[in-house]
Amino acid sequence: MTSFRLKWKLFLASLKMLFRQREAVLWSILLPLFMILLFSFVRFDGMGRLDLGVVNQAGESGAKLIDSLRDVKTLKIHEGTQEEELAQLEKGDRELVLIIPSNFVASQHRELVAYTNDARPQEAQLGGLILQRILDELAFAERGDAGRVVVRTQPVKSRNLTYFDFVAPGILSMSIMQLGIFGVAFGFVALKKRGILRRLFVTPINPNDFIIAQVAMRLVLVMLQILVMTLVPYFFLGLHFIGSFLEMFAVGILGAIVFLAMGFAIAGIGKSEDQVAPLANIIAMPMMLLSGIFFSRNSLPGFVRAVVDYLPLSFLADAMRSIAIDGASIGQVLPQIAGLAIWSVVAVVVAVKMFRWE
Amino acid sequence: MPESILNVSSLVKRYGTLTAVDGISFDVFRQEIFGILGPNGAGKTSTLEMIETLRPIDGGEATLNGLNVKSQPQQVKRIIGVQLQSSSFFDKLNLKELLELFGEMYGRQVNARELLAEVELEDKAKSQVAQLSGGQKQRFSIAAALVNEPVVLFLDEPTTGLDPQSRRHLWGVIKRIRSEGKTIVLTTHYMEEAEELCDRVAIMDQGKIIALDKPQALITQLLAGGFTKERVERLANLEDVFLHLTGHVLRED
Repeated sequence: MTSFRLKWKLFLASLKMLFRQREAVLWSILLPLFMILLFSFVRFDGMGRLDLGVVNQAGESGAKLIDSLRDVKTLKIHEGTQEEELAQLEKGDRELVLIIPSNFVASQHRELVAYTNDARPQEAQLGGLILQRILDELAFAERGDAGRVVVRTQPVKSRNLTYFDFVAPGILSMSIMQLGIFGVAFGFVALKKRGILRRLFVTPINPNDFIIAQVAMRLVLVMLQILVMTLVPYFFLGLHFIGSFLEMFAVGILGAIVFLAMGFAIAGIGKSEDQVAPLANIIAMPMMLLSGIFFSRNSLPGFVRAVVDYLPLSFLADAMRSIAIDGASIGQVLPQIAGLAIWSVVAVVVAVKMFRWE
Repeated sequence: MPESILNVSSLVKRYGTLTAVDGISFDVFRQEIFGILGPNGAGKTSTLEMIETLRPIDGGEATLNGLNVKSQPQQVKRIIGVQLQSSSFFDKLNLKELLELFGEMYGRQVNARELLAEVELEDKAKSQVAQLSGGQKQRFSIAAALVNEPVVLFLDEPTTGLDPQSRRHLWGVIKRIRSEGKTIVLTTHYMEEAEELCDRVAIMDQGKIIALDKPQALITQLLAGGFTKERVERLANLEDVFLHLTGHVLRED
């Protein structure tokens, strides 16, 4: 019990120090928030291409129509089930979704339904016209008359996720990583160098109590990061946040433990800030650039992807993104949680081996 | 024979091939101020840090209040107070908060005001260490070493870098702490400080104790050997002039 009291007092003292050190709070919350703000000005979306989802329930005869559609340069065709494609439409990854029913025969059919994105009427109209034209051509080639198949468009309420929705949870994940790696590595090296740790160990304190208090203090900061960096973009920058904070906290804390442990390992190897800085950067930089924070890992070459898919920041960013903008539950991000859990065990073991008090 | 509270016997510290402390032995008596003197690199700090459980003992033994330092370091830590040569404290906590936190590390709820009064810093309770002058820092460092009501207080070069006024002021603080029943072990390389404060001194050089006695006895021995100073004994020295001109009042910003 006395040990719990000491941990609690150390935790309170650490929090006090944190909030009296305004630069630290500034660095860990306002800076990434500023980065998010900058990215809210970036518009990578809607670059003159229409994403058309096609649900082919007709087999052979539908495939012929799809082949014709593929010839249209403006269209990017995605095939899938009705459920999948409508979900994509709702997210805003499709402008239109064309349903080819099982009884479709190009020469006889009178009407096809295409669901459209309600927030992008121009794209929907353009897509509808293109579809109509292709169907007309097909009908003409087969029957030689103009008994046309009419495309009936039906708007669907879409959330229209943008690049900003992709990048904001990514930057949040990245700032959790930086708080862990850089915060601990620099913080502890400074405590060592200035003799503050040495003075602590004159007392009968159990060093682990101090570590626990420091970790707990940083986890509070992580939760604050999650709150601020989600709520501000949600209310002021149009972030499509539909997640639950409880799940964000759970995943964020698990991720933070991985990076905090890495920070302790680095603080153990380095004796001064000069030694710690390159080490921390060499670990954090590749993750920052390759873990799908600023652009999708889909654009990476296969062999690179095979590695970076398993980096802790990839797991954290993917899980955070799913929870934040797809409203995923913990159950739906279990693979990422498992990945982070394995990483946390590895990182803590390494940290215990590497960390030195002096 | 006074009662020994700290017994050091054949203590050794090695750093690689260098033997920093070379088999020294001494006793410190209850309620005395014991000084370890010597030039830089003589092994004073290494000796203190071994007794304070901060450095592994490479040879010999140290027994403090009946506790073996090597085998019972945690118990030793509970009954000693330590001022390190260059210790710093957390930023962003004020003196009162720091003392209370250090008290918690010993499982104690301390009266910070009382401790600060002891070192004449009660009006600085809300200040942070960074805002203190050199002398105030050293005094705070002593207050932090007193949170657990230690039996023995270790002070490593407590007055190094202080101006004459602050040094004299600190001497007063140290004497008062002793008068309250504590034993004090300190290192210094100021001879007038040792003469003023210490009941007994050990003079160290190159890892060995080369003399150990009351300051007056050491002086008597030296004179008995036929030693004479080159110059006639003056009735005052430059420090007296300095203090006469600038006064004994503490200058602290």
